[in-house]
Amino acid sequence: MRRSSPAVLAGWLLGSTLAGCGGGGSDSGAPRPAPTALSARATAGKALFFDASLSASGRQSCGTCHVPSRAFSADPATDHGLPVPLGGRNMDLPGFRHTPSLAYAALTPAFAIVAGVPRGGFFRDGRASSLAVQAQQPFVTRFEMANADAAEVRARLEASPATLQQFLDAFGEAVLSDPGATLAAIGEAIAAFESEAPEFAPFSSKYDAWLEGKAQLTAAEQSGLALFNDPAKGNCTACHPSELQGYSQHALFTDFTYDAVGVPRNWSIPPNLPTPRSPISGVPLDYVPAQQNVPAGAEYAYYDLGLCGPFDPPADDPNPRPVFTSPTSLCGLFKVPTLRNVAITAPYFHNGEFATLHAVLHWYVTRDINNNTGNNPTPVPAGPGGNPYFPAGTSYLTPTGTPDLYQYNDLPVQFDGNVNIGEVPYTPPAFAGGQAPTLSAAEIDDVVAFLCTLTDGFEPQNPAAYNVPAQCQPGAE
Amino acid sequence: MKPAQIAPARRPHPIVMVALLLGTASAAGVAAAADDAPASLQGLQQQLQQVQSALQQLSNENRELREHQAQLDRQLAELRAATAPAPNASALPSVTALPSAPPPANASALPSTAALPSTAALGPGATATPGTTGPGIYGTGLRLWGYGEVYYTDPTDDRRQAQADLARAVFGIGYQFDPRTEFNSEYEVEHAVASSTDVGEFEVEQFYVDRQLSDRVSVRGGLFLMPFGFLNEHHEPTNFYGVQRNFVETLIIPSTWREGGVSFHGDTPVGLTWNAGLTTGFDLSKWNFAPEFPPYANALELEDSGIAPLQATHQELALANARHLSQYLAVGYYGVPGLTLGAAISTGDAVPVPAPPNAAIPGNQRVTLWEAHARWAPARWDLQALYARGTLSNTALANQANPGSPNPIPAAFYGYYFQAAYELWRQGEYRLNPFARMERYNMGSSYQGTPGPVIPSGEVPLSGTPGDYGLWPQNHDRVWTVGANFYLGPHLVLKTDYQWFEENTHFNRWDLGLGLAF
Repeated sequence: MRRSSPAVLAGWLLGSTLAGCGGGGSDSGAPRPAPTALSARATAGKALFFDASLSASGRQSCGTCHVPSRAFSADPATDHGLPVPLGGRNMDLPGFRHTPSLAYAALTPAFAIVAGVPRGGFFRDGRASSLAVQAQQPFVTRFEMANADAAEVRARLEASPATLQQFLDAFGEAVLSDPGATLAAIGEAIAAFESEAPEFAPFSSKYDAWLEGKAQLTAAEQSGLALFNDPAKGNCTACHPSELQGYSQHALFTDFTYDAVGVPRNWSIPPNLPTPRSPISGVPLDYVPAQQNVPAGAEYAYYDLGLCGPFDPPADDPNPRPVFTSPTSLCGLFKVPTLRNVAITAPYFHNGEFATLHAVLHWYVTRDINNNTGNNPTPVPAGPGGNPYFPAGTSYLTPTGTPDLYQYNDLPVQFDGNVNIGEVPYTPPAFAGGQAPTLSAAEIDDVVAFLCTLTDGFEPQNPAAYNVPAQCQPGAE
Repeated sequence: MKPAQIAPARRPHPIVMVALLLGTASAAGVAAAADDAPASLQGLQQQLQQVQSALQQLSNENRELREHQAQLDRQLAELRAATAPAPNASALPSVTALPSAPPPANASALPSTAALPSTAALGPGATATPGTTGPGIYGTGLRLWGYGEVYYTDPTDDRRQAQADLARAVFGIGYQFDPRTEFNSEYEVEHAVASSTDVGEFEVEQFYVDRQLSDRVSVRGGLFLMPFGFLNEHHEPTNFYGVQRNFVETLIIPSTWREGGVSFHGDTPVGLTWNAGLTTGFDLSKWNFAPEFPPYANALELEDSGIAPLQATHQELALANARHLSQYLAVGYYGVPGLTLGAAISTGDAVPVPAPPNAAIPGNQRVTLWEAHARWAPARWDLQALYARGTLSNTALANQANPGSPNPIPAAFYGYYFQAAYELWRQGEYRLNPFARMERYNMGSSYQGTPGPVIPSGEVPLSGTPGDYGLWPQNHDRVWTVGANFYLGPHLVLKTDYQWFEENTHFNRWDLGLGLAF
């Protein structure tokens, strides 16, 4: 072969490398696509989502609990002030959990346990394998839309001409021949709506505009984001990552894992009471489920244990999640929710215990300081120089308002070990005098200011039109 | 570890080799004579005996090759006679052109005749590729080699964290397809057990083919080690001082740094080597802005955590993103006995930090790393110095989007070290080489879009385990190391050292190690 001189080879090499790498280019991705028309299924799903005639009461639809103006979460004004929705044939039966936001729900991954860590799935306990399976369930749940079965749902659909027509346009008449197939198609249609309609995933918050260089965060908002990320301060990003996670091209502020945060028992939830009755009609709540995973001798009869019950995966789920009776280490764990739109999805946590973000953050950073648990043998006393948030005492109360016997009183004491006490902000930095909250009151204000920027609907060209949530108004707390 | 490179096809005359060996030996001997003439004379005699032995071996091999060649010629003649005309005979590699395996191309590049006997005795890579200078296993061209290291490390401020580890067990396989074409590969098990539930890893460290283009130029393709610094290519435990690799060539030059690509390399008669290539680059989308807990709590974890800028983003040819490629150029000079000078630079666009679709992107994020190093081995001394610096461009927006991060992307990082070793004692194959090193590393010397990492003050949780508290370490430090290598021959070394950290003082540690290479 003909041998090239080193100089020629080097020249060729350098020339080729420059040619090969000169183009560069950006990986920023394509611009956000313009909204496109909904598919036939999604169009039908939209009609089904808002059709209250499909419920036994005639007054309840998906949309009456998942209110669009509240990021498809509940409007407390419609539930008589309860933290849980009312439903049933007479709209007098309370549910068990606060209505979650459906915004961005379609981006939730399927339930899986990877390296021992449960992640994803639908409902707060991940018991539905898909958005479609989840969407079917309220139609036949006694304390929600309260149809007796799929056949009753089909009958109501056939009696709702406008919705029926769109449903048939999408699925054809044959699907009506089987009630189960009809209900499954209803679930698919609603899931298509929640997946396709841009209002479910607008990524139009002030935070998004800031990332796009179209808005400025205030100093407090910037500080709040820094505190949110700081592993020794808020450490919120540990479960609500502000980094991109691969589930979306945007940060979703959830890693879809499960955690037991030890939130106090909410006595405003009727099933939590010693004698559960409807606050509307007074009827006994005989649908409060038996507790197969509650240990004998537990303080209360009913507990909501999240991943391990009391609600099992739907019987008609084609890919059912396992039923977790063991290990009990999963008892009390609930899915980490997105924080997008969190300022308009109060009350907070699965049991709606806290009404404001300030209250949530105050509780987070003082949970084990005020309550004198084993996690904190030397709590900071209240008063000057001490804990600035709450008077000394516990936020864990009995129905009568007295301090409860145990902390983490929304879990049987046997499951207290499942509560997360190893991470900031639960585990505050130690110092010589004991332990202090990781966030000061002023810092909590900043974190709340940042959380308020996650509310969708910000228009960079018209920031004054931003509908600032009430708890984000200046001076609100 | 760097296996032997394809060497010039020109076959050195045995007399030339003897002269080279004598020259090398005498250079070392003369230098040593200033301190200890009788010992030097004895050493010279030993080396002369080794040369004579090598000469005899070469002579034997030469005779065998000639006999083999004559036999092949006879067989070829018989075949030609039996089959006329001979099919494509001219296309076959000429048997008569088969040279004996040449010596390593840059054998004289290693100056450590006094300090590192294994390397000096066998040439670069030869310690781990013993078949290079011979016909291979059973004359097939197949070669095997290996190296590994076991250590004990004792953080003296927190002895609960003392650890022992089979840090590396590495085996290499090479094959010489023909006199100009050679394949080399290395496979490494880190931390003894590699499975989905264990801490260990199994990885391909090198996998490339070298093809000689001319007497002094070769081309290489595949997964290969980048020619940066002292350690990246020559990291067998017999080739460096101290139980663990130095921090600069771990945290700044991310040894063992390898990339996939193609390169050309060669040398010149005046002792100048060069190496240039086009390779895969770095992936900044792997950056973790939000480590919840300190990524490392002691010096050992600092090396193993992969948190350093280029450790965190190198791709190791594992489904590597190849949209962006890097270029590199390395040069070395070994024309003066006992002196090695070298420098290298790599630059290329990285896979960018993920950003929302409509986020403003200021431009490509480019990763550049350069280094310069020098080594001088007068008499019993072995003196080394190295400086390395890296930069990452257009990181401001990514950092601004992650305020409060304890681990923002740096705009620049650097490190340097000075090291002195001395052959204090030698008897037969035994050598004792104490050394001292001062090194400085800074994994984030400047930042864009943020004042810097938010390092919590005071104790923070080190894990999710309640009560597990500790300090969040600084990402820069100055480390002093004193210790000794005790060679039990060219292939075995016992090591010990103590390290002091000026910033992360709780990292101070005592180490003990056993290394081998063959």
